[in-house]
Amino acid sequence: MRPVSTKLTFSVLLGAVSSIVYADSITVYSALEQDEINSYLQQLSVDHPDLEVNVLRLSTGDLAARLIAEAGRPQVDVIWGLALSNMIDPQILSQLAPYSPEGVDVLAAPYKDEEGRWFAATGYLGALCINEPMLERLGLPTPASWEDLADPVYKGEIVMPNPASSGTGYMQMVAIEQGMPDGWALIEQINGNVAQYTSSGSRPCQMARMGEYAIGASFAFVAMRSIAEGYPIKMVIPEDFAGYELEASAMLSTSSNPEAAQKFLDWTLSDSVADLYGDYKEIVTIPGATRPEGADEAGLPENVEDILFPMDFAQSASDRPSFLTEWQQRIGR
Amino acid sequence: MKSILSHGSNSRTLVANSYISLDKTLVIASTLIPFICLGLFFGYPLYIVLIRSLTAADGTVGMANYIQVFNNPTLIAATLNSLLLSFITMLIALVLGFAIAYRLERTSTRGRVFITVALALPLLAPSLVQGLGLIFIFGRNGLISQWFGISINPYGFYGLLMANVLYALPQVVLIIQAALRQSDVRLYEAAEVMGATGWQKFRDITLPNAKFGLVSAGFVAFTVTITDFGNAAVIGGDFRVLATEIYNQVAGQMNFSMGAVVGILLLIPTVVAVGIERFAARKQSASASESAIQVAPDRNLKRDLILGALTHSCALVIYMVIGVTVFASFVDLWPYRMELTLRHYNISMAGGYRPLWMSLWISLLAASVGVVLIFLMTISMKKLPLHLRRIVNFIAIMPVGVPGLVLGLAYILAFNTGGPLTLLYGTPLLIGLCNLYHYHSQGFLTMMTGLRGVPASLEDTCTCFGGGMKETLRDAVVPFMMTTCIAVFFFLFMRSMVSLSAVIFLITPSINVAPVAIMQLSDAGRISEAAAFSTCLMMVVVAAMLLLRWLIKKVPSPEKRS
Repeated sequence: MRPVSTKLTFSVLLGAVSSIVYADSITVYSALEQDEINSYLQQLSVDHPDLEVNVLRLSTGDLAARLIAEAGRPQVDVIWGLALSNMIDPQILSQLAPYSPEGVDVLAAPYKDEEGRWFAATGYLGALCINEPMLERLGLPTPASWEDLADPVYKGEIVMPNPASSGTGYMQMVAIEQGMPDGWALIEQINGNVAQYTSSGSRPCQMARMGEYAIGASFAFVAMRSIAEGYPIKMVIPEDFAGYELEASAMLSTSSNPEAAQKFLDWTLSDSVADLYGDYKEIVTIPGATRPEGADEAGLPENVEDILFPMDFAQSASDRPSFLTEWQQRIGR
Repeated sequence: MKSILSHGSNSRTLVANSYISLDKTLVIASTLIPFICLGLFFGYPLYIVLIRSLTAADGTVGMANYIQVFNNPTLIAATLNSLLLSFITMLIALVLGFAIAYRLERTSTRGRVFITVALALPLLAPSLVQGLGLIFIFGRNGLISQWFGISINPYGFYGLLMANVLYALPQVVLIIQAALRQSDVRLYEAAEVMGATGWQKFRDITLPNAKFGLVSAGFVAFTVTITDFGNAAVIGGDFRVLATEIYNQVAGQMNFSMGAVVGILLLIPTVVAVGIERFAARKQSASASESAIQVAPDRNLKRDLILGALTHSCALVIYMVIGVTVFASFVDLWPYRMELTLRHYNISMAGGYRPLWMSLWISLLAASVGVVLIFLMTISMKKLPLHLRRIVNFIAIMPVGVPGLVLGLAYILAFNTGGPLTLLYGTPLLIGLCNLYHYHSQGFLTMMTGLRGVPASLEDTCTCFGGGMKETLRDAVVPFMMTTCIAVFFFLFMRSMVSLSAVIFLITPSINVAPVAIMQLSDAGRISEAAAFSTCLMMVVVAAMLLLRWLIKKVPSPEKRS
């Protein structure tokens, strides 16, 4: 009795009154970008005005770390858009409840779990952000592939995300490692040209667009957005290994409000929000989605699926610890 | 003689009797509550980190995690980097800090406002903002590179060194200034009579007198550098430091036990430094004479010119770093379209301005709870036996050596794993407490210094007149301590508004705070909006500072009142 009254006092005292106002309230962790979350939630308030969703946005690495730390006492009902390589980590996978939301049938087999624990409506594709005026000033050709980036002429002009902290960084390098018999040799050669590794996957593109470095390895959406905002950026999708990552969603078995959680997951596959995905995503697994703003100027292919490197996500997930150990030994940055 | 004495004490007991129960309760409460809170919200979480660092992946207890760390060349390199960076930062900050403090205390008072305002600026914003400003100015495509057509690369050791020196400088100057103020002018007069030159006076009087101030200041510079996370994240580039390493271990590699090990390792240098600093402080207070007459500023053209140039250029760099951040918040598309606009102030991301109001609320909580707890702790210190007092004193100032990141990690491990305390998880109160204990040491030391200003004779008088603890507090301690309490309140408030590293682990969907929102904006590439949000945050903190100055002026000093 006592803890309950204490908790009540706290929630009243500390202003968490929202849960009392709304009929259904759930907590959602997401690694999606904050602007897309805002835009989707606006649509949610039209579609389900009675559903109150508290979203915490964290980077992929932070979010996965937090889910594992909180395993003893989960705080969250739904995971919305977490890198698949992290979602199928056994420590996270074991916290999930099987659920097949409405509309999951239209997704192709690679985009959902056989046991129904997760599904992925969207994804992102690795891409290089090239600051063209800067490259011109330096008198360097525009690179077209990872192999090109190994050329010593680019020494000190490349920024990449660190695979230890960034989901994008891990995705880019795992594609190279899975795609070549000796992927590590290429990673080491590129490493010789890398000026610095960042902890965030979008930061390399931001540094390139500010003119701090000529080439930033990021993902396609941030490149297209930068072009739309007016930065002098050219997007290049590496022609050798176009690594990609899926953004998976799931419900936790400890959810305190499973009905509302299911209602939310159903909604993430509904037509009204699927129409919005196209504004933010280069990869939408729901058939018939629109393309992001700036996709044509940036040169995003009509059928993105055709250029994707066939990633083995189960292997990406299980290789993660050994890959990072090898990273520290070989690269150590 | 004996009968008079016993009679006196009898009557005192009579008068005091009616207060005895209230007095006792007050004493017990004021002694226990602050210590329980210190134990619960500082000692206990750190204990959990220690346990986690000793628990291997398979659940066995032992040094397995530590052995893993010492066999990890990256971590060893990061440790050496951190020690080197902190040491050099300390040396430069001490030299510059001494020059600036000397300039402010011993030479002409012209330009004083210009310098003191500059020194206050780095304390108004999260260190991340400084990193941003430095990149705007010194980046490869920053203002200087553009204007002079050169390419500076600030990422790495030198950028980090510069950011950390700027960040540590205000605190270093404050401490050395206080030390310089303690010098006795009569020593200089005596030296003058004996025919000492200016340099001899400096070498034989000024430096030895400021020695312990320099040790304290050096410790602060070392600690803020080795525990800084914001600068390292923005401008550190590939120069790995221990603080970012713990972030990688936990956020990147999901390795909580290793994170805990690095956290414990991060504590060692600071615990040693705290020990040295305490030793120095004790010596310092022993050497200070209460009847010292302050040294008045004098003139020396050559010296004043050199010191002035140095001081003003430091101040100028600080103005530029903060100023360019404010300016960039009004620029349409930095660094390409320099037209001015207000559009970046329309922040829709990261919950708009809601985190700012949440920070305000959390900081008010941290400050008010903090002032009460620290005040109660300092006044009940007097009632403890000496050896206990030393231990409490040591624990109370320990938080200064605990990196925010370690404290944040400790909080999530301690308050999110079951038990009644988990009720606090995800509440503004817990974030407030985290901020409070992050800055507990400075508040505690200020309060102790303030308490020394309460005349002991006045307290005795109160007790002699039969006053219990309540009366002594009301009539003797509180009036003298009002200014100190206000200062501690605003110190905790302002630090809580801008501190980032601890709270980043404690935010939840319904609670986000301003410094984290700024980092999220900067991470999302919305540099201009991050700058705009920082400008708003700085304005709130400046408003608080102005309110503080006004309040301190308003509070009547006890001398005037009587």
